[in-house]
Amino acid sequence: MSPIKKNKIVLVIVLFLAVLSGSAQDLLQILEEERPEQLQYAEATFKTTRISFGHSVETRKKGILEIFVANRFWDSPAERSQGFFADRLSTRFALEYAATDRLSAGLGGTTWDGIFDGFLKYRLIRQSAGKDGSPVSLTLFQNASYYSEGESDPAIADAFADRLSFTTQALIASKITRNFSLQLAPTYVHKGLSFYGEPNQDHFALGVGGRYKLGRHLSFVSEYYWLLNPAEAPQTYGPFSIGVNWEIGDVMLQFMLTNAVNMVEEAFITGTRNNFNFRSPNLNFGFNMAYVIHFKRNLRNLPQK
Amino acid sequence: MNRLIILACFMLCGGQQLVAQKVIARQGRIAFFSYTPVENIKAENNQVLSIIDLSNGRIAVSMLMNAFIFEKALMREHFNESYVESDMYPKATFEGELLDFDPLLKEVQTRIIKGNFTMHGVSQTLEIKTKIDYIDGSYEVSGSFEAMVDDYEIKIPPLLAGNIAKVISVDFKFEYEPYQEE
Repeated sequence: MSPIKKNKIVLVIVLFLAVLSGSAQDLLQILEEERPEQLQYAEATFKTTRISFGHSVETRKKGILEIFVANRFWDSPAERSQGFFADRLSTRFALEYAATDRLSAGLGGTTWDGIFDGFLKYRLIRQSAGKDGSPVSLTLFQNASYYSEGESDPAIADAFADRLSFTTQALIASKITRNFSLQLAPTYVHKGLSFYGEPNQDHFALGVGGRYKLGRHLSFVSEYYWLLNPAEAPQTYGPFSIGVNWEIGDVMLQFMLTNAVNMVEEAFITGTRNNFNFRSPNLNFGFNMAYVIHFKRNLRNLPQK
Repeated sequence: MNRLIILACFMLCGGQQLVAQKVIARQGRIAFFSYTPVENIKAENNQVLSIIDLSNGRIAVSMLMNAFIFEKALMREHFNESYVESDMYPKATFEGELLDFDPLLKEVQTRIIKGNFTMHGVSQTLEIKTKIDYIDGSYEVSGSFEAMVDDYEIKIPPLLAGNIAKVISVDFKFEYEPYQEE
């Protein structure tokens, strides 16, 4: 056999093999190549719209109404107190509605401190994998609150506008592993009423919060707000909490131990009068319950083939 | 030598024809249902990919778990986060064979699909009775089967055991078109 002929045979065999391997290509492999590129967003950085007392980056999906009831229980410092279970109770009732997947709004009222509050929350950036993705989620939060308690001190200006306080937050969070999420919350608070002649009405704070999933439905959470320029008097402390969040279907339960009595942002960030320890009345037991109602049904109006 | 080149060309063309004998469905539909006295859960995925090699009846299906649309947004989150864990197992796939499938038969044929279905990292062998219809030059494959939640190591907390059925019924329908290979 001449060398040229030999080469031709080799060529034919190579061509044949090439064709054969092409036709025997793995079908699943073909499907992978056919799949359009899509950003995969990180699901559920946190399970609820709160980490513990503070807001998380999460907003509810479009058409969800959340009925949110938050409670704080604590004891009075008196030697002998006869309260059943706890001496004091404060409850915040709120309705929170998601107008779109990104925009939520809420209205609430608190029994103990008489604060009525409203907020807007906008989910600006969602964490996603891939080269075009963002490593963090960013949610903007703005609230306004009205202090409704009577004020007897004539030295304190307490017209309607004076009673309004505002909190602005940039919530930045990352789902670092499937179990662990961390959030930073640079915060600006403008306080309305100034008690004890406090000249400082503008406060800056940095919130740090995290969750660690203990199970599929249970997570451990903790949160702390560091106040950069606290009021001069009376002394305040950074609100701190440890707790667990538990979800059961459409119900989300949060249990926490905290030194923050108040449940509205400006009040617990700038006005927590006790440090975190286990003495009365410093220690608060917190219990939050959220129940979600879906007004949007996704399978309706879905194109049927 | 010339003959060899002609032979090579012939083989190439023949091979190409073989390759072209594939059909693909890009917007296949899979829906599943869980019926319990407490709650009915229904979900649908309209982005399921499937391909059939007509030369040997082999079929493959691939879907993204987070592309399932649920009646309630929260169900979708729970499904992905707590049950199928789609961050670890983003896809469910099926690889198998249409037994006794005759691609030349231009009418409805009922055949068995046998193969491995992989979901949540667990593979199960399935045999599914399937209707294959030939409509306007393309194939349409549809059928249904039942899947046990336990078979795929999907854990349901006791508190929610009443809300999720132990057996999930699955419907599927794929409309194929000729697959052009580059």
